[in-house]
Amino acid sequence: MSANELSHLVKMANQIASNIGLGSTEDEAVDKVVNHISLFWARPMREKICANMQESADDLNPIATKALVQINAKL
Amino acid sequence: MLQRSDSVNPDTSGLSSVGTGTVAAPMIFDPRTDIDPDKDYGTPAPTNDPTPVGELISLRIDGKEVRVPQGTSVLRAAAMADINIPKLCATDSLEAFGSCRLCLVQIEGRRGYPASCTTPAEEGMVVKTQNDKVAKLRRNIMEMYISDHPLDCLTCSANGDCELQDMAGVVGLRNVRYGYEGDNHLDAEKDESNPYFTFDPSKCIVCSRCVRACEETQGTFALTISSRGFESKVSPGQDQPFMDSECVSCGACVQACPTATLSEKSIIDKGQPEHSVITTCAYCGVGCAFKADMKGDEVVRMTPWKGGKANRGHSCVKGRFAFGYATHTDRITTPMIRDSIDEPWRKVSYEEAFTFAASRIKGIQKEFGRNAVGGITSSRCTNEETYLVQKLVRAAFGNNNVDTCARVCHSPTGFGLKATFGESAGTQTFDSVEKTDVMMVIGANPTDAHPVFGSRMKKRLREGAELIVVDPRSIDLVSGPHVKANHHLQLLPGTNVAFINAMAHVIIDEGLESTKSIQERCDVESFETWKAFISDKRHSPEETEKYSGIPAAELRAAARLYATANNAAIYYGLGVTEHSQGSSMVMGIANLAMLTDNIGREGVGVNPLRGQNNVQGSCDMGSFPHELPGYRHISGDEVRTQFEKAWNVSLDPEPGYRITNMLDAAVEGTYKGLYVQGEDIAQSDPNTHHVEQALKNLDCLIVQDIFLNETAKFAHVFLPGSSFLEKDGTFTNAERRISPVRKVMEPLGGLSDWEVTLGLSKALGYEMNYNHPSEIMDEIASLTPTFTRVSYERLDKEGSLQWPCNDETPDGTPIMHIEEYTRGKGNFALTEYVATEEKVTKRFPMLLTTGRILSQYNVGAQTRRTENSSWHGEDVLEIHPHDAEDRGIVTGDKISLASRAGDTQLRALVTKRMQPGVVYTTFHHPESGANIITTDNSDWATNCPEYKVTAVQVNKVLNTEDASEWQAQFAEFTKEQLAYLDN
Repeated sequence: MSANELSHLVKMANQIASNIGLGSTEDEAVDKVVNHISLFWARPMREKICANMQESADDLNPIATKALVQINAKL
Repeated sequence: MLQRSDSVNPDTSGLSSVGTGTVAAPMIFDPRTDIDPDKDYGTPAPTNDPTPVGELISLRIDGKEVRVPQGTSVLRAAAMADINIPKLCATDSLEAFGSCRLCLVQIEGRRGYPASCTTPAEEGMVVKTQNDKVAKLRRNIMEMYISDHPLDCLTCSANGDCELQDMAGVVGLRNVRYGYEGDNHLDAEKDESNPYFTFDPSKCIVCSRCVRACEETQGTFALTISSRGFESKVSPGQDQPFMDSECVSCGACVQACPTATLSEKSIIDKGQPEHSVITTCAYCGVGCAFKADMKGDEVVRMTPWKGGKANRGHSCVKGRFAFGYATHTDRITTPMIRDSIDEPWRKVSYEEAFTFAASRIKGIQKEFGRNAVGGITSSRCTNEETYLVQKLVRAAFGNNNVDTCARVCHSPTGFGLKATFGESAGTQTFDSVEKTDVMMVIGANPTDAHPVFGSRMKKRLREGAELIVVDPRSIDLVSGPHVKANHHLQLLPGTNVAFINAMAHVIIDEGLESTKSIQERCDVESFETWKAFISDKRHSPEETEKYSGIPAAELRAAARLYATANNAAIYYGLGVTEHSQGSSMVMGIANLAMLTDNIGREGVGVNPLRGQNNVQGSCDMGSFPHELPGYRHISGDEVRTQFEKAWNVSLDPEPGYRITNMLDAAVEGTYKGLYVQGEDIAQSDPNTHHVEQALKNLDCLIVQDIFLNETAKFAHVFLPGSSFLEKDGTFTNAERRISPVRKVMEPLGGLSDWEVTLGLSKALGYEMNYNHPSEIMDEIASLTPTFTRVSYERLDKEGSLQWPCNDETPDGTPIMHIEEYTRGKGNFALTEYVATEEKVTKRFPMLLTTGRILSQYNVGAQTRRTENSSWHGEDVLEIHPHDAEDRGIVTGDKISLASRAGDTQLRALVTKRMQPGVVYTTFHHPESGANIITTDNSDWATNCPEYKVTAVQVNKVLNTEDASEWQAQFAEFTKEQLAYLDN
């Protein structure tokens, strides 16, 4: 059941969005996900998930997707 | 006013001696604190001393004025004045017993000869400890003891360390009028069943010290005195051999024995030690202080040190006895290299190994980029060594790809406590448990994994503290001798956050929160938001019962008990952190403590029980890829610049890879080099197939270890490691206590671990210059605000220090967040329950959870190479009788255990410890393949693996000759790799 790196990153981004954005507006939730990923993910991980957003579009949840768009803009 | 002496070994001869030199304030002996840990005062200090601070009662002993706290025995008061009354059944680790009658004295105005151990000192009392009358009585008593004792002193193993022999000398016994021919016990049979100590009843004086040590110190109650009168004898269990009894081999009885009756086999074999060195245990996160008793450079015994503030003179079967691994023949003491893992190893010099490793790492970085390499620091090595490895990665590799094995155990603790309290550490001392009224133990098994602290918990429970256990499994604390949990909340694995939310919901619902402390100490806005969240009906125990399995009424009762206690403390372990919501659960625990005002004083708090000896330290030392030492984010310009100046290098401001991300990238082929110090990821990390695939993909794996561990079988460079006995340094335990580790023997490989890292760094082109680990600590102190007043000099003087230790708290910080939280106001975090993706199905209908056992430690590399395997020679699968019956399984049957990740085979143990639908195993033996089963699910915030929840199926194996496919491959691979060593 070994996930490949990309699917693992997608799963992690979704998990963060599910856990961190509670009780917030969507914009606040997106900000929190952006902040968390920026603080804790290595640059190659951010680059990899952002470079493959289209491929993962169906798997990413909406908050994670919006957050990754912002992260991509900062790379 | 009395002043506290700053010495741990004060001169106890002067009761009111005045300080000398330039010290302005007089140094006055304080009998509360100025005790010599190497002296036996006969009875313990009074626990509930009613004497106001600064006031003592005064009495005269042999004409000398002695001032002591009320409740002190005459025996202890005399010992404090260096008046040593003869004694046999008394020792200051145990309550007075009054059986040997050797310590009798005369007290003016009283009749007879009371035992000084059971007589409390009183104001104005006048005591005579020596005169002809008491001397005669003592000789008479000794005469009776010696009339039934083998007089083989010269060849006895206790010769030189026998209190009976000493007392015979002290009382002046010259002859035995009764003769030696009468009935006696001299032919009593020895019990040598325990691998570490011998019980020789022929030498027993039935003083009950062993029985009391088993009860009072260890809390196991395995020993008793059976029969009466002349037939009285020490009996393990019900007159069973020690190994067949409930004995947990902690050794407290051996230490308490005043004769050779209970003796370490190592002392019987080798004789008494000739010198001792105080050091810190290298097993669990309790961090017990030990005297390494030595003959030359050989350890012959480890004796827990009474002056150790974490263990107060107690130990467990690992720390006391399982040190033989350090000199095991499996130790690898020569550097080795090879081009590929399909080749034999070549033994080389350190220089050649360093050059080979450095050239490979540089080659990888040239071809695959700077980020294609990284390192893993060890939670078993010292703070100084860990600091150096992260420094090497950041400075010499030029990236932040450094992580530590705390990633896979307590990383959610760091995240969760920082987010709520502002500091990534537990809040208390271990001593704090003595003031606790209600303990809540969540996902921890202290009597197995933190046994010395488990014993201290049991002692407090016997004194009347109440207990809530939250665990899918019925751990020993749930029900044991004189300990019974008020509530055992037996939740289903994976529902922790639902549980903790329900606890908080009840407290709000029933108005049990501490409004005053919330208003004064917490961020009120965060509280109001959280209150609205937690008040929702979905968090009520009546709702959560549906998936957690905890009956609502039971949970409500537990919540009331916790919330209304004077002092309630939470103790937790990896059953909290190793989940997909590990960080949420830690924050939920912190919320609960803030909600009920259970932070900031003795007896309360949030106490993570750390698995390995230096988990706390490795995290403190900047082992995480996003943080520099002292938990400061790498992106902070001010902090990073400070390190850049000190290290004379430019640092990457971006966080690096965590272990799990390193392995993912390795499988993808973008990550190619790894330096691993003292960590065995091939055995300890989840989803072994994935880990092995990653390790095989590396072009340069450098392993520094004392054994060829599972990871080293995939390595290209092997650098010999050194055990804790072979180096100087410090460990930091679960209570933030920094304790010294002292070298008692030269490193078998010639270099200590810190010296090996220096060599590798130099070869990489980044030279670090230190002559001794104390200089590394000086650098840590200069760069880490919570360590500024820590130095080896101070540690030698104080024994240990709890960080933060700086100008504001020069003596350290036993209890945190007293006035305010480190972050200012306590933050209530929202913790929605999100079910794990790991779900039971028809194919995998049960849940596996994993844990540890008393006699083995972590991956077992150390304890498997000792006699500890006599207790646990293989990992077994614990399964409930209903599930076992459904599958036709009985204890001892070979079973297959399969998950979505893989499958393995183990033997079954059918036990009601488990609840139906949940199975359990340990991961101490590599061939068990427990981590073949576990998946790569992880905590949302930290990637801490979800070891505690795996959907599995269990079936009986019909052909017991078979092994699982992985086990067969493992056996073959191990055979092949061991053959590569033989050149």
